[in-house]
Amino acid sequence: MIFYQLVEYKLTTPPPPPLDAVYGALADPTRRAILAALTRREATVGHLVERFPISFNAVSKHVKVLERAGLVHRSVRGREHWVRLNPRPLREAAIWLERYREFWSGRLDALGTYLAGRRP
Amino acid sequence: MSSDDVVVRRHLPHPPEAVFDAWLDAKGLAEWMCAGAGHATVELDARVGGKFRFVMHHGGRATEHLGEYLVIDRPGRLVFTWRSINTDDRPSEVTVDFTPAHGGTDLVLTHRRLPPQQRAAHQQGWVEILRKLAGILG
Repeated sequence: MIFYQLVEYKLTTPPPPPLDAVYGALADPTRRAILAALTRREATVGHLVERFPISFNAVSKHVKVLERAGLVHRSVRGREHWVRLNPRPLREAAIWLERYREFWSGRLDALGTYLAGRRP
Repeated sequence: MSSDDVVVRRHLPHPPEAVFDAWLDAKGLAEWMCAGAGHATVELDARVGGKFRFVMHHGGRATEHLGEYLVIDRPGRLVFTWRSINTDDRPSEVTVDFTPAHGGTDLVLTHRRLPPQQRAAHQQGWVEILRKLAGILG
């Protein structure tokens, strides 16, 4: 088992996918439901098919989109494709707007300082 | 207004006219909008349809912010587009409202159409979904 994990890490060290791919992947409710299901445990594509009222091919397609966005990793063990969540791009997307809130908050503090300095 | 907009509020002890004017004064903007930068370049054409360009230099890096004024309604409201590397180089939209209050000004800044929203504009609470998912993941 450990052997498979090591092989997988070696093979999957691509540069981080653009945020764009992450947002695109998350825009679909089925793909979000798949991610939510994967937060509890990793699953095979077969397990996911049992949980969602869509075909094997449809699930497989969704998993591919999630994989391209870096949101899941897929590994082959025996004849099964196991799908595991990769939370990192998700966290990066979640902090995006938080960073903008901080940016404007800092600017408005500087505006206050600037106006106070101009007071006669 | 979508619940995903970035909204920042401040009360400033200055009349709305003074607060409003600070947004369209190149020298002033270089001081406060670009505060923290080693040095800054500010170019602006303060009329509806006019463009602005703020370049903030930090160390060896320069961040450029570009935009166009959409509404200039002194001293109540200013609306402009906002594009930079931090918006994935796509135009977003900033509205600043200035309301007289308690002898000063209540300023409300609303930043809309940031990239996460552009990807799923029809979905309310988009960021909430993201936060929830990210939260589940700890």
